[in-house]
Amino acid sequence: MRRRDFLKLSASTTLALASLGLETKEGFLKPCSTLAAAPKSLPGSLGAKEIPSVCEMCFWRCPIVAKIKNGKLVKIEGNPKSPANGKRVCARGNSGVQLLYDPDRLKYPLKRTGERGEGKWAKISWKEALDEIAFNMDKIRKKYGPHSLAFFDHGASAEFMREIFQALGTENYSSEPAFYQCVGPVAVAYLTTMGYVVSGTRQYIDMANAKAMLLVGTHIGENVHVSHVREFIQGLSKGAKLVVVDPRFSTAANKADIYLPIRPGTDTALLLAWINYVIENKLYDEPFVPRNCTGFNELKSAVKKYTFEWAAPICDLKIEDMKAAIELLAKARPNTAIHPGRHSTWYGRGDVGRHHCLSILASLFGSIGAPGGIYFPTPIKKGHAHCVACKGENEVEEPDVSLRDKYPFIEALPGTPTAEIIKATISGKPYPIKLWGINGVNIIQTIPNPYETIKAIKNLDFIFCEEMMPGETAIWSDIILPGATYLERYDSVYTYDLLTPYVTVRQPVTEPLFEVKTPYWIAKELAKRLNLDCFRCGNEKELVEEELKQMGLSLEKLNAEGGLLKFKANPYRKPDELTMPTDTGKILLSVPDFAEEDLDAVPKFVATPAPPKGFARLIYGRSPVHTFSRTMNNLWLNHEWPENHAWINDEVAAKLKIQDGETIILENEHGKRSNPIKAKVTPGIRPDCIYMAHGFGCKSKHLTKAFKKGASDQYLITTYENDPFMGASSHRTSFVRIVKKDVVKDIPDLRPLPKELPRFELNKA
Amino acid sequence: MSQYAMVIDLAKCVGCHACAIACRAEWRVPSEEGYRRNWVKRIGPEKTPFGIAYTFYPGLCNHCDHPVCVDVCPADPITRNFTSAKDGTNKKMEIKATFKEPFTGIVLIDKERCIGCGACVEACPYGARYLDETLDEPKADKCTFCFERISAGQEPACVQTCIADARIFGDLKDPNSKVSKLIKAGAKRLQSDVVQIGPNVYWKGSKKDLHALFKNFAPKQRTWEDVLNGPDLMKRSILRAALASSKRSG
Repeated sequence: MRRRDFLKLSASTTLALASLGLETKEGFLKPCSTLAAAPKSLPGSLGAKEIPSVCEMCFWRCPIVAKIKNGKLVKIEGNPKSPANGKRVCARGNSGVQLLYDPDRLKYPLKRTGERGEGKWAKISWKEALDEIAFNMDKIRKKYGPHSLAFFDHGASAEFMREIFQALGTENYSSEPAFYQCVGPVAVAYLTTMGYVVSGTRQYIDMANAKAMLLVGTHIGENVHVSHVREFIQGLSKGAKLVVVDPRFSTAANKADIYLPIRPGTDTALLLAWINYVIENKLYDEPFVPRNCTGFNELKSAVKKYTFEWAAPICDLKIEDMKAAIELLAKARPNTAIHPGRHSTWYGRGDVGRHHCLSILASLFGSIGAPGGIYFPTPIKKGHAHCVACKGENEVEEPDVSLRDKYPFIEALPGTPTAEIIKATISGKPYPIKLWGINGVNIIQTIPNPYETIKAIKNLDFIFCEEMMPGETAIWSDIILPGATYLERYDSVYTYDLLTPYVTVRQPVTEPLFEVKTPYWIAKELAKRLNLDCFRCGNEKELVEEELKQMGLSLEKLNAEGGLLKFKANPYRKPDELTMPTDTGKILLSVPDFAEEDLDAVPKFVATPAPPKGFARLIYGRSPVHTFSRTMNNLWLNHEWPENHAWINDEVAAKLKIQDGETIILENEHGKRSNPIKAKVTPGIRPDCIYMAHGFGCKSKHLTKAFKKGASDQYLITTYENDPFMGASSHRTSFVRIVKKDVVKDIPDLRPLPKELPRFELNKA
Repeated sequence: MSQYAMVIDLAKCVGCHACAIACRAEWRVPSEEGYRRNWVKRIGPEKTPFGIAYTFYPGLCNHCDHPVCVDVCPADPITRNFTSAKDGTNKKMEIKATFKEPFTGIVLIDKERCIGCGACVEACPYGARYLDETLDEPKADKCTFCFERISAGQEPACVQTCIADARIFGDLKDPNSKVSKLIKAGAKRLQSDVVQIGPNVYWKGSKKDLHALFKNFAPKQRTWEDVLNGPDLMKRSILRAALASSKRSG
């Protein structure tokens, strides 16, 4: 791609930075004359050439500078121009160097030679690889119709290939696990009640200026999005009070003023009791609620039955703690940050309702548009690349029976629930799906019940992927296209619309290594073979220039500014000037549209099945040094955190005679067993659940550092249900018990279950 | 004269490990197990008298006032002339292969003269040093407070990258520096009744976090005494060199 277009920033950094006298007030040393005189021998990253760019070790995409010495990337730092992360990057951002130079990377196109899943390949040419993909796409589309093609996508690398699937007319052109396995329910809840996606890719929650914060199952600090973590810490440093609701004592819980170790699956009961208490005790914002919200009376009568006395045994919490927490949050209003949450595909039923409750609580506190509350994005008008738009092809025409039909609130969103695609691929109903394209997502380690996913893959006529690393998805593919990393390419102009808005651009720090190609080149070549006129720029650099030109910018101008331009934020609204982007301009406390679809206008508590006798609920989260299942093979990150641990409550462990650090196996409700995993015995988790960090237990031997390290949570999640609003798949609906030295050990029942919480029925499993 | 020091604020730290990796990237610390100049160890969740704590030990060399690693270095001392990068003043000092730099108080290693005996590695009660045996001739290595970076006017790599601004670096001899103020306000040295060698990294945080940190990681062994009282240091270095060369040939 824009391989040859290195930035020629001659800015010899050491001297430049030194002359800024960074932190000289603190008395750091002035530049040492002997060092300055011999720049060639400068140690560390000193004296490196710098190229501003954008990280994509995760999707948060922090601005970075890449440091190049003798043509090699030696270090990545934050872009000091960035108002969000500044000179900082997280562990993963720092480790991009080892993604670029990972010897296990996919280096050239591969064609499967053994059985699917065997991981046996032959090297082929780009021409052969692309010809074969185009041939199969065309053949299958003609034989089975456009909807027989499905595309699973994530991140910047997938954007161009998505255009092709859309142009070919399939409704399944963007089945994003990032949506259907992550943010779907929270996005729908806020889009419906507030008119915009308060939490999707981003969270518009002003923790930095909050006087109190509430986190419900949100693991800030383990979930590391740099500017988000910074705002959380800034808020705490300024004295904000913190309430954390979580069955596990997380990094955030350790910083909490009130920690509520809630029984998993009962968060909505707590939230409804809080809402009722706020209304009953008039703790809500009296002028704000009638002026800026609709549906208050419906809400009030619907939540009347949810008392603390009712919630306490369900949530397994003390009334005085629940009360103290809500009083603390109410006292700070309107500067109360009710975090909307992010990963919200927990239990299927009730997921949208839980986040609807959070939106109600924030609204009752009048915190919408107030400092410290939910704020509004500052959109930066981005130029449009006219050279990317497919011409002369079919609009996506809905099939007679759509896979989206079941889900009334999917409309605003592209693509199809992943679970529906997998089921249709297996059953051929309501229509056959015969080809999958996958780009930027390891679907095996992301979608619940990988056994079902693999069954579907075996049913396909053809499957291909564009990937950087030979993970599980690659080993199940017929053709593998080696894609360039974010360090080897330009990407579409990037705008950030949070509290510190800016525009910046990803730029290559090296030409693509080996035989890898950029996503734009791959999509363009594939489109050509399918007779689609989609990509009319010569390369991504032209595309970026076209987008920048419409913003009155160019790469040259942007780079003269250090690769980034800041904009002024407009996040807050005075309550009497607040107009929400909903039909009525108001916040919907009760949502009549939900009722029209036989869903709850005001959320109700609907119990998710409790663990069957002898089992604990499997819960999961993140290691702060890893992204999904994507970074476990990175040399530096692997060194830092090679495997995950199973967190087991100390009382449970004592009863089962399990020692801290001992190797165990987990067995789920369907008898599926995990890789061996070490036990972490701690009082920091409830006795009715077992936790592990997501993304470990790699099953591809081609990832030599990650292979078989730790255990995979995904392979233990075989029971899931789909959210009735938009079809997301639940992830916290599976259960595990412990196997030690081949002996199955039942989890003792240490917390009584009230009758409102029926157990999962094992014989139905 | 300065004494550089660091304060680490556990109330801000989220245990993200950015510091550890920025250090590894900056100085190309080999990724073999046990090789680290800068680390994050996770503590808990565990019970403390002040409630459950789930905190971290983000550690590095303490650049101690009484560096026992320097005491045990068997290399023959030589006289070297040091120049202050701040004001150009000179100072002559006798140094072994590892020494406390006179103008900054930073403990450094003269790699040219290190014989790779490993005595300093064993002597350090904080485990802050390692012997780099990936080199043809093994050498001791450890955190330098990014001496070269700060000499060039930059921050230490771990301080620069800290996403929570939990690491504060500066000169203890300057009473107006942030580190001086934080120490005056109660930031604590990680030490025990038994081991008090003047570490210049300080920690602050909640009672429970500090309790857990000290309980798990305050050094309780006078490790350097074993080295000083152990086999003759020169003999040790010969043994170590022979072992390393047999490892390489084998």
